[in-house]
Amino acid sequence: MTENERNDMSRRSFLTQGTGLFTSLWVAGQWPGIAAAAHHADEAANSPVPLGFTYFNAADAADVEAICAQIVPSGATPGAREAHAIYFMDRTLATYFSASAPAFSTGLTEFQASFRTAQPQVARFAAADPDMQNAYLKTVDHTPFFETTRMLTILGMFTSPKYSGNYQGAGWKLMGFVDQHGFSPPFGHYDAEYQGFVPYETGKAT
Amino acid sequence: MTRTFKPSETVDFVVVGSGAAGGVMARELSQAGFSVVVLEQGPRLGAADFEHDEFKYQFLSGITNSPVTSPQTFRDDPAQTAKPPPMGNSLVYARIVGGSSTHFTANYWRFHESDFKERSMLGAIPGTGFADWPISYEELEPYYTKVEWEVGVSGLGYASPFDPPRSKPYPMPPLPVKSSGVLMERGARKLGLHPFPAPMAINSQPNRGRPGCAHCGFCIGFGCEVMAKSSTLYTMIPEAERTGRCEIRPHSYVFNVPLDARGRTTGVLYFDADKREQFQKARAVVLSANGAESSKLLLNSANGRFAHGLANSSGLVGKYLMFNQGSGVHAQFAHELNEYKSVQVTRILHDFYEADPKRGFYGGGGIDARMGGQPALWALASGADLPHWGPELKARLEAFPRSMMSTGHCTSLAVETNSVSIDPTLKDAWGIPAMRVTYKDHPDDLAMAQFLQDRAHEIMEAAGAEKVWRSPPRLARGGVHLLGTCRMGDDPAESVVDKYHRTHDVPNLFICDGSSFVTSGRGQPTMTIQALAFRAADHIAQFARRGEI
Repeated sequence: MTENERNDMSRRSFLTQGTGLFTSLWVAGQWPGIAAAAHHADEAANSPVPLGFTYFNAADAADVEAICAQIVPSGATPGAREAHAIYFMDRTLATYFSASAPAFSTGLTEFQASFRTAQPQVARFAAADPDMQNAYLKTVDHTPFFETTRMLTILGMFTSPKYSGNYQGAGWKLMGFVDQHGFSPPFGHYDAEYQGFVPYETGKAT
Repeated sequence: MTRTFKPSETVDFVVVGSGAAGGVMARELSQAGFSVVVLEQGPRLGAADFEHDEFKYQFLSGITNSPVTSPQTFRDDPAQTAKPPPMGNSLVYARIVGGSSTHFTANYWRFHESDFKERSMLGAIPGTGFADWPISYEELEPYYTKVEWEVGVSGLGYASPFDPPRSKPYPMPPLPVKSSGVLMERGARKLGLHPFPAPMAINSQPNRGRPGCAHCGFCIGFGCEVMAKSSTLYTMIPEAERTGRCEIRPHSYVFNVPLDARGRTTGVLYFDADKREQFQKARAVVLSANGAESSKLLLNSANGRFAHGLANSSGLVGKYLMFNQGSGVHAQFAHELNEYKSVQVTRILHDFYEADPKRGFYGGGGIDARMGGQPALWALASGADLPHWGPELKARLEAFPRSMMSTGHCTSLAVETNSVSIDPTLKDAWGIPAMRVTYKDHPDDLAMAQFLQDRAHEIMEAAGAEKVWRSPPRLARGGVHLLGTCRMGDDPAESVVDKYHRTHDVPNLFICDGSSFVTSGRGQPTMTIQALAFRAADHIAQFARRGEI
């Protein structure tokens, strides 16, 4: 990733208003909390049945998971739901990102309220049909809350399963990433057919 | 059993920082027969401590300076009040033994001859501190060779027609080419350009007791788990310890360099692992804490003689901060590349290295072919301005094995207001005044980044990409190449250190790291930082032997 892409992440935000998840991302300096989270993460990674929620209540978890499932939909390959992104979010908001948890809660409450205003006939976002969910998210997909949820969804799908997401490597399977200690060449299609470096006439390759 | 010293023992040299430059200093000065204590802020970790964990290293400050304990503030205009950036610290470096050489990508480009004398070649650039170096490529060449052979660099000498003169071939052949390198080479050759095997400080084969690369793919931001990356942690530091004259002391945060009545330093004050103040006595002090921390330390060491910072009679300590601008394009191909395997970069080109007044702006750079990030980082950042959620995002994620980046790396001009200074209110977890960063790219830096991005786009299209996408270059809000803040020069009014890295103001205080740079080079500074360190150590040892310190 280039420095400009890091800037993009910041610009698109999370919480560039300064209330910040990214500020608290670094709460990680506090290792005792991390050790506790890692212990839980190991349990979750080894558990066929998802553990319960710590940060979310069931209704909020359902709403957030419905957003996650729109960000990376299910289908022929796994989506955010199959990768248990919601469990990653729950654990990290309860531990590493706890300093941002109140801001996330505020964002979620506002999201739920504005959805009710827009769609008073539907009890809550999770209960809306997927097309309605998709259409509604298009109206809010540049808000800090959405961008934060997107970032957490991606982290929950593609970082190590020991953090409670990426269930059984589902996210890595989606991306075609093989989690292995090392590899040998050829690595891909194009290097397999490479004929070798041909020196330039002007060069004096040694 | 390595040698240890008591703080009350007066050692010949105390070196602050154990990274790219500090590691070389430790090894060279101890092998030259001097007693050396290296004080490192962070912990000492080994290969078995590192892991393939993107969340830990890229998002949780696993081995880097944490914004929680070592916060910084940032502003892009000196008239503003600087604030802690929402994304975490602006200036990021690895805070462990080995420093940023532990987590770097390991691109090891030599500077070219022109880098040292561009001001003479091109003339002044208004509003900048554009200047010649006080040394030439020819003076540094033997030390570049030393880095290649004694630290360990893989490459193919003179493969590029633009290569500067070299006295020896590389000690190891290039790393195996990846599909990104093959495609970039294919596209660039079609356009009449000259791509060549990238020089990398990673073993392509067993070398000096360390194994060849395992091609795991976790280089940038990660410590090497097999010791194939030529970090000072695995190269210089163990060799320094084997002399029996060097102690590496982790968890030692130096916060002040006091002077005696004669204006000489007698050692350094630091916090130990228990946050207790200690004073390590030394006959001479070498700062190799990096281009941000060395300046912070000097500015925080202001005293009656130097009210604006130690060794700062020029007023330039902390000024002329440079990052290296850059820009990239993403490209997608028909077949699998599997860029997540092996090292970041296997092909680069230097056809646009030299500044060309015909472009209408100053600048030069190189272009590489690279993976761009492991899964989580790639998924977060690879979208550029494309739809960033829903089926479009998912399709892009599924194409990860068929995707690559081509990235331009270029110059940053020295602008005096771009700086590291001391924040007036913020303090770190030790109660030490924190770093304040002021930075805004010179317009020429952005123009050069745009120029290289346009060329990279053309190369990817010529290579047969199905799709190429990008975001325009933007103002840098931070960096990892920390350059220029204690620049070297012959004139004490215009520089902080002389051509031998001795401060103009304090005879037994030396500074050698990225801060010594006068210009930024073209984007890959560590090779030159280490060549400077080998050269500086050579001269410092001679001064010490002759009683001239």
